[in-house]
Amino acid sequence: MDIFVQQLVNSLSVASVTILIGIGITLIFGLAGIVNFAHGEFLMVGGMATWFMVGAGMNFFVALVFAGLLVGALGFAAERCLFRFTLNRPMNGFIMSIGLSVILQHAIIRVFNEFQKSITDPVGLVWTIGGVDIIAMRAIVVAITAVIVAITYFGISRSRYGMALRASVSDRDTAELMGIPVRRYVTGVFIYGSLLAGIGGALMISLFPITPFTGSVIIIRGFAVSLIGGLGNVGGAVVGGLVLGLVDGLSAGYGYPEWTDAYSLVVMILILVLRPQGLLGGTLGPKAS
Amino acid sequence: MPMTDNSAAKTGAATEGARARDRLALLTADNASVPLPAGVQAVTAILLAALLIALPWLGLGYRFLSIAITTLYTAIGLYGLGLQFGQAGIMSVGHAALMGVGAYASAILSVQLGLGFWTSLPFAMALSAIVGGVIGLPTLRVGGQHYIIITFCFCALFVIVLTNGGTFTGSATGLDVGSVTPLPGINFDKLSNNYYLVLAALFLALAATYLIGISRYGRTLRAIRENEQLARSVGINVDLHKLGVLMVSGLFAGLAGVLQLYYLRHISPTLFGAFPSLYLALMVMLGGARYLYGPLIGAVIVNFLPEVLNLDPVDSRIAYGVCLLLVILLLPGGVAAGIKNIYCALAGGFDRQGGGLNGRA
Repeated sequence: MDIFVQQLVNSLSVASVTILIGIGITLIFGLAGIVNFAHGEFLMVGGMATWFMVGAGMNFFVALVFAGLLVGALGFAAERCLFRFTLNRPMNGFIMSIGLSVILQHAIIRVFNEFQKSITDPVGLVWTIGGVDIIAMRAIVVAITAVIVAITYFGISRSRYGMALRASVSDRDTAELMGIPVRRYVTGVFIYGSLLAGIGGALMISLFPITPFTGSVIIIRGFAVSLIGGLGNVGGAVVGGLVLGLVDGLSAGYGYPEWTDAYSLVVMILILVLRPQGLLGGTLGPKAS
Repeated sequence: MPMTDNSAAKTGAATEGARARDRLALLTADNASVPLPAGVQAVTAILLAALLIALPWLGLGYRFLSIAITTLYTAIGLYGLGLQFGQAGIMSVGHAALMGVGAYASAILSVQLGLGFWTSLPFAMALSAIVGGVIGLPTLRVGGQHYIIITFCFCALFVIVLTNGGTFTGSATGLDVGSVTPLPGINFDKLSNNYYLVLAALFLALAATYLIGISRYGRTLRAIRENEQLARSVGINVDLHKLGVLMVSGLFAGLAGVLQLYYLRHISPTLFGAFPSLYLALMVMLGGARYLYGPLIGAVIVNFLPEVLNLDPVDSRIAYGVCLLLVILLLPGGVAAGIKNIYCALAGGFDRQGGGLNGRA
């Protein structure tokens, strides 16, 4: 039982990172209409930047903020220089994001190297609650994710910006006529999603080592989460992240570990085929061209 | 007076600017449906065929010929992808897995039953086609991007299954096969003979692509690509055609996979994973999916670029990425579109109003 609870806590912290990348993708894909395959690389860049800054003697939590801002700026540059020109041809944007992902991955290898990087646990505490050892950093990761999820959820569903955003998704032309600067919203969503990826990367490297290739592994997970929950649906991304994180964590502990990745892929294919709008419903994403 | 001069200069500048824009528009225009004169087409085909046939005799060395073989079998796979994306508008980023199905089918037949190249080829191609159709089933239900992600999942799943397949699939180390069964008088252990084998298959793929492109079938596929609802409303069986084109694409992929297997003599799961698949998508977009020579051009660029620029692997990957971004931004139709547009501009026969060629046959 204790082992089960421990597995559960561990899965929850892994799920947190998945949820963060999933929210980023669900917003960018579902609301801004951009399929950004380089999102996983954004996360990896955030992790690498954190590693570099912590290695240079910076406090982890300061580095986390800087990593978020850096990757947010990267997202801004990518949107302005690349994706802006392919808004009407999402397929071209998708292919371009593959190119961007390859560039970022190998630029990191060029600047650092291809070996895995890790930082020491920035908190270094272990809490024992009812016989269960909980690593404090893991609890902090879950807490930070919970705060971000809450902010994003209420931002999208309650604030006037969120309402304007959803208006521009459901009817772009009408929203423009109502005076909503749709393009600026697209940029804003892209930056926000990228920022979350940067924070996710920083949190990820506090949990386990990452390599320059981590991004391309986690991206498919991010798409899985956002599609399972329903595109553009923040609550859906949380549900998707929990489902996937728990399936992973528990199958690693109990099932056949070598098939861990296969479970999430199968779940994803089934949901995509049987319920393309996701478990909780969402937009169907941009029209394919 | 200076006012009028000034405004005249302004109008002059404006028309100059408009003309420059026109010229740019001519270069980036989507002209895939504009047929070139039959003579030009024939000359291009003959020159290209002559060049490809003469390649082993040009004394370019063993390494060059090896890369050329890699390029050609990749191009065969790309013609399948070009068909489904360029003609029917169904993109896939799991195409390497489909090649892997063919390659592994052939390798397993060879290891388990002792079947050689020629006898296993039809089975491998058929299996690839069937798998292509089965993966294609979701495309009847979900749209473009969802389908792309499904193909990506399939690709990742395929690699996991191969890696966990025990001795049957050779796990992570993969499988080995012998050489191609010699035909009377032709021993395929010789590299140039292997080259001609792959080249013959490429010519088949090219011919098939050309014939599909000009046939009623090709026009039906393009109608589905442009407007699925409309195609359905004029009585085209959209579902059947979508599955059909994915199966044809699977045939090409199976052929390419078997050729790859018998050229490398050893296959492992990583050859057919996510990255090779993404590179296939990259090549077909880079070359131009809607053009007859587009996939071949894409394969040549991606395979030979690192060699020509003499880059180490990391730099060459960065170069790929940059090339891809530039092509998508500047030449959305691919390099083939750019070449065709430059030819049209040089030939000077471009009719601006009609957007077609004056001298079209």
